[in-house]
Amino acid sequence: MSKIKHMIGKSIEKPDARDKVTGQALYPGDINLPGQAYMKVLFAERPHAIIQDIDISKAVKLPGVIAVLTAKDVPVNEYGLIMNDQPVLCGPGSKKPFAERVRFIGDQVALIIAESESLTEQAKKMINVEYQDLPVISDAREAKNDHGKLVHPDRESNVFCHYQIRKGDLEKGLHEADVIIEGEYITPVQEHAFLQPEAGIAYIDEEDRVTIMVAGQWTHEDQEQIAHSLDLPPDKIRVIYPAIGGAFGGREDMSVQIDLALAAWHLMKMGIHKPVKTIWSREESIIGHHKRHPYFVKTRWGATHEGKITAAEVELVTDGGAYAYTSTKVMGNATLMCTGPYEIPNVKVDSYAVYTNNIPNGAFRGFGGPQGAFVAECQVNKLAEAINMDPVEIRMRNLLREGSLLSVDTPMPKGVTIDKVVHKCAEKAGWKNTDKGWQAPAISKKNTDIIKHGIGFACSYKNVGFSFGAPESCTAKVELHGKDTIEHAILYHSGADVGQGAHTIFIQFMAELLNLPLEKIHLIASDTARTGQSGSASASRITFMAGNSIVGAVNNALKKWINNERPAIAEYEFRPPKTTPFDPQTGKCQPNFSYGYVAQVVDLEVDTQTGKIKLDKVICVDDVGKAVNPLLVRGQIEGATVQAQGYALMENFIQKEGRTYTPTLSTYLIPTILDIPEQINSIILEEADPIGPLGARGMGEMPFLPFTPAVVAAVHAATGIWFDEFPLTPERVISKLHEKG
Amino acid sequence: MSTHKITVKINGGLEQVEVPSNMSLLSMLREKLALTGVKNGCAAGECGACTIMMNGEPVNSCMVLAVEADGAELVTVEGLTTEGKLDAIQEALIDKNAVQCGFCTPGILISANALLTRNPNPSETEIREALVGNLCRCTGYIRIIEAVKAAVEMHKEEA
Ligand code: FES
Ligand code: FES
Repeated sequence: MSKIKHMIGKSIEKPDARDKVTGQALYPGDINLPGQAYMKVLFAERPHAIIQDIDISKAVKLPGVIAVLTAKDVPVNEYGLIMNDQPVLCGPGSKKPFAERVRFIGDQVALIIAESESLTEQAKKMINVEYQDLPVISDAREAKNDHGKLVHPDRESNVFCHYQIRKGDLEKGLHEADVIIEGEYITPVQEHAFLQPEAGIAYIDEEDRVTIMVAGQWTHEDQEQIAHSLDLPPDKIRVIYPAIGGAFGGREDMSVQIDLALAAWHLMKMGIHKPVKTIWSREESIIGHHKRHPYFVKTRWGATHEGKITAAEVELVTDGGAYAYTSTKVMGNATLMCTGPYEIPNVKVDSYAVYTNNIPNGAFRGFGGPQGAFVAECQVNKLAEAINMDPVEIRMRNLLREGSLLSVDTPMPKGVTIDKVVHKCAEKAGWKNTDKGWQAPAISKKNTDIIKHGIGFACSYKNVGFSFGAPESCTAKVELHGKDTIEHAILYHSGADVGQGAHTIFIQFMAELLNLPLEKIHLIASDTARTGQSGSASASRITFMAGNSIVGAVNNALKKWINNERPAIAEYEFRPPKTTPFDPQTGKCQPNFSYGYVAQVVDLEVDTQTGKIKLDKVICVDDVGKAVNPLLVRGQIEGATVQAQGYALMENFIQKEGRTYTPTLSTYLIPTILDIPEQINSIILEEADPIGPLGARGMGEMPFLPFTPAVVAAVHAATGIWFDEFPLTPERVISKLHEKG
Repeated sequence: MSTHKITVKINGGLEQVEVPSNMSLLSMLREKLALTGVKNGCAAGECGACTIMMNGEPVNSCMVLAVEADGAELVTVEGLTTEGKLDAIQEALIDKNAVQCGFCTPGILISANALLTRNPNPSETEIREALVGNLCRCTGYIRIIEAVKAAVEMHKEEA
């Protein structure tokens, strides 16, 4: 038996890979059911208005049109992941106050259900909506202080979330500093651009459940939100995930889920038993789902000549867009991470999330972490320059270590390894640890009049799992079959495989723990009728949370097996150590139970004639605790790095007055294979997390965080210019270079 | 809308299809022939997920009208496998973990296959150039490049 052990740490083949390379894998849009109808959404396509009237009379008369649904057809016309502030359908006729208001261009007004897709298109054009346009609120900084113009008239202010941290004595800390660096930063909106646009199919299953096959990140949360809007008990709703075409946080909130459920349920009530299918176009996808939050930041940090950071003050304002989505949680992370992985004695942070008429912002890989990291790392790099100290050396003098107090005044969970990560990354990039401290390598490449080289350093930490008191747990169920020995095992788990390889990891855990060959493990995944609550595939939590749930369920099942139960069936709900919310005055809290740590060095060249930045090499050191599948880890590091490259250098999402100017993949440019770095050197550290499953930490988001500030530091090294706003498109770079002269 | 009867040779077999004159080749493959391995990521020639071989050349099937394909020879991702045996490039993508969500994969496979057919020994630059029309949001492309290189080696060993 010993020969099959050690499934952990092996790059085994993904169980879904064969179907994906032969075209057999079914994504939501690939599923067809007999007699299916089609659904299309009528989007508002205007940022702020009151709907006076919706006339559907012509549309419903078109032969082949089955139904047209509006606000009055939604039993409970509201939804939202953290607060129910969004109407399912905007318009008059529902009980939800102010639901007749349209608050961003992607607000939905009507659902058209017909025998064919082209009929839905035709009928859509026959719907007449009377709008009364309202002034557009598009600047979060203005909206923050303007209580006259409200996005949600039932609230007193556009600010819907405020946190503050008060640690130590800021003024004293600034007084102790020899240098103070002030900064104003702006981070951009980013679009997920997962390759599979939103799609799904809904039907009534054999147990009369409204069943939705869709690509999401959290089956049970989808189920709950659908149940709320349809006013049905959750067990009357069934959510199933087939293959998912990328997510990155962009499928954390509802898109087509409630619409599809509503349509199938409505048809059933009309006595029509027809599945309903929908596929969004790329443009509908881009206006229809949330984005990464832009941040507007003012900050000042102080340090002594010895490189000790004495104080940090940060004000964060973010644009939440029209609805809250996960803004409050994203802001929690940014509030914590804007002072970096450093122990700073005196900290003052104030953060505000503000409603506007822009596309809502929400979950996106890193979840507030990248914005926070950008501020912290740029500030530290500028402090280092100001006191003439190496950027690695200043970090070494301030990094969080075992027992360090965070800005929120509680110690870090055990297993802090950021110093090891920084050490390794610096060494790999040619830094020397001399008796005068760390020293950067000399740039070996020759600058010309036009081409300038630079390298930049940054490091970050990112929580694993839900934070700040959010309920956190994950359930697994295991069945062991056989007589004398275990012949095969079945795992029931909801954890979503969004492409990262979660299901591969689950199977590896099972094989390792049961000492079974891979082919003896069967996985039943992501179906609320069969699998338990797992929480979302987000927050770098799935390996950690699901891994722990599988360990627990296997242990319980083995106990039953020993007691001769056949099959031995056991469930286990893993709950990590509790976290707590920010104290309203001081911010004091236990924010997280686990972290992952990462450092990066970026080596690049700037063409000072064209403004083009070319990435020569990226070194990424990531402590993943235990690499359950090293090739999957590598895939995450490279994928995150290139996504971060898009964020830092090219992705320019343009909204003006609430309208989107980049609704396609030819106007919103993401990295192609010609844009990527010459080389990405991924270095995996395995410093076990004391409470991780077999030591594993989360890692899917971490490599995204330090990338942009490392690029900015490298560009500064090359040109002498600090960029406090990105993406660093050639136009932005050139105009700054000209300014400098 | 007028419809047309067209004939295509697809993945080795002959098919007669009746198509509306404004239907894209992509829609025809997915809706009329149930070849859902061909993906729609944009329907505007911007992502490459719909790439197929048409008369020996990779094309974005969303940018071709179905009627234009009358008489053409087409290969989709479903046609890369012979009698259940995967092609070297398919094996290589699996081996190198070049498949994450897999939505770009059918298009990548066709573009890579087209490259290797016309140039069995491409340089890294040639590999990158051949795949510039295929967006992938998950992998960062590094494993994809590795996979194409590995397929080149596999072909050499077979020969
Ligand atoms: S679907 Fe054809 S290029 Fe995107
Ligand atoms: S693997 Fe997801 S887009 Fe390429």
